[in-house]
Order: sequence, then C-alpha cells, then structure tokens
Amino acid sequence: MALSNDQIDSLIGMVTSVASDELDCDGCFGRIAEFAEYHLASKEIPEAMKVVQRHLEQCLCCKDEFNALMKGLEAIDSD
Amino acid sequence: MASVKFNDNWVGRLKNEDAEVRDSALDELREFLIRGLSRSLNNHYGNRKFNPEDIVQDALIKILDKIDTFEHRSRFTTWAMTIATRVGISELRRRHCQDLSLEGISGDESLRIELPDTEQQPAGQAMDRQVVLQRLRELIESALSAKQKFAIRGLLEGLPIEVIADRTDSNRNAVYKLVHDARVKLKEGFQQSGMAAEDITAILAGGE
Ligand SMILES: [Zn+2]
Repeated sequence: MALSNDQIDSLIGMVTSVASDELDCDGCFGRIAEFAEYHLASKEIPEAMKVVQRHLEQCLCCKDEFNALMKGLEAIDSD
Repeated sequence: MASVKFNDNWVGRLKNEDAEVRDSALDELREFLIRGLSRSLNNHYGNRKFNPEDIVQDALIKILDKIDTFEHRSRFTTWAMTIATRVGISELRRRHCQDLSLEGISGDESLRIELPDTEQQPAGQAMDRQVVLQRLRELIESALSAKQKFAIRGLLEGLPIEVIADRTDSNRNAVYKLVHDARVKLKEGFQQSGMAAEDITAILAGGE
C-alpha cells in the first residue's frame, strides 16, 4: 500500500531534521539518567544535553521509556 | 549541574565485602524498583498484566552487571530505574506487538509514493510539492536498501524500533543507525538537486 499524505509528510520531516551529531539509542540510554535529573529538578536542560532531547523527539522507543521512567520516579518522589 | 556528581553510597553498599550489607542494599533497591515500576508500567501497552517482581529480578542482574559503568551523573536509584524501565517496557512491548503482521509493508512496496494528480490543482505550490515528491520517490528507489525502506515504513506505521529489530533479526541500535543513514542519504540527495532542507520545509508548509 502506498504511503498516506501524513506518512509522506512525516518521512520528509525525518529527512529534513536529520543532524550529523544525533545520538543513537545506546547513546541516548547512556545519558538518560542524567537528563532525567534535570527534569526532576525542573532545571533548564543545558546545551550539551539537548542531543538527548532531540533523540527523544525522533525515537518512539526511547521517548516511551523516558515517559515511563519519569512517571515512576515522580510517583516515588511524591510518596 | 553539568559537573554535579551524585555521591550516594549505593555502589559501596552493593559491592560491600560484608554479605549482610550487600543483601540489605539489594533488598532496598529491589523494593525501590518495584515501587517505581508498579507506577510507571501500570496501564502501559493496554493494561497488560505484568509482574513487577519478575521484571525487577531481571533488571537487578543487569544493574549489578553494569555497576562499574555508573558514573555518578545521576542518583544511583535514577540510573537503576532507567535500566529497570527498559527491561520492563521491552518485555511489555514484545508481548503487545507479537501478533502484529508486517506483511503489508514489506517488499518493494514498502515506501511507495503515489504522486498526487496536479491537473486538478492550481499551479505553483501544488506543483512545488509535486517536484519534491517526485525527487523523493527517485531517491528512495536509487539510494535506499530494501532493509532501510522496510524499517522506515515500520516507523511510519507507528511500530517501535525494537519491534522492527525483532522482526529483522537485528537490534534496536542497528535499526536506528540504518534509518539514520537512510535519512542522511535522502537529505544529501535533495541537496545535490539544489533542494535544501529549509526550502523543502517551506514548500510543504506553503502547500497546506
Ligand atoms: Zn532511541
């Protein structure tokens, strides 16, 4: 089946947004705990950590895991 | 915060020579992770039944295995939770997606683009979109491998990378790299035709 218009737009978004310094999933995972601490402390994400943010915008798996991680940690913090 | 080191004593306790100290740290960590996962994975992937204790047992093995790679850039418990969350979600994701069929998106058709009929549309913006799509179609055919097409289609269908990796006997990081390389090739192909990323974005935004 051919791609829908929405899928074509998503594909073009994937192409135009690609950056050479993107983290892969392992790279993202290696820094996600540190990234989570900024979120938990409601601190501004420093420039050097923005690659993590960009990976999460591209990767459904890592984004899903990050959301679950935050849900668990925030629940424990508020106990 | 960039240079902050988190100096809790978990590593020292978990690697302690005294078995009693180790066991008590392990029990405490286990209890922490079960509490966290009970909240984070509850209702995940359609409320699938899961046993946090089993997941935590697997996660603890991984955590102890990797403990020497912990760099104190976060609290130890935060780091341990990232591992446990990944173990848990991977398991739920596999169960959730095991019945999905990928048949419809494999083969030569996996990234087929049908060009819209521009005769019915005003010239100008619609035409520009047509040019972008025509070039995209050519680039997909000339620059991408069958694996790359399949992986990208899977993502566009909303499948997690991990599921695509399972179905292609690969791993998640390799699939991410495969897709990343495909995105770079397509972007470079556009650039070689004189279409910069900003131009393409502007054309498509203007066509809406
Ligand atoms: Zn990822």
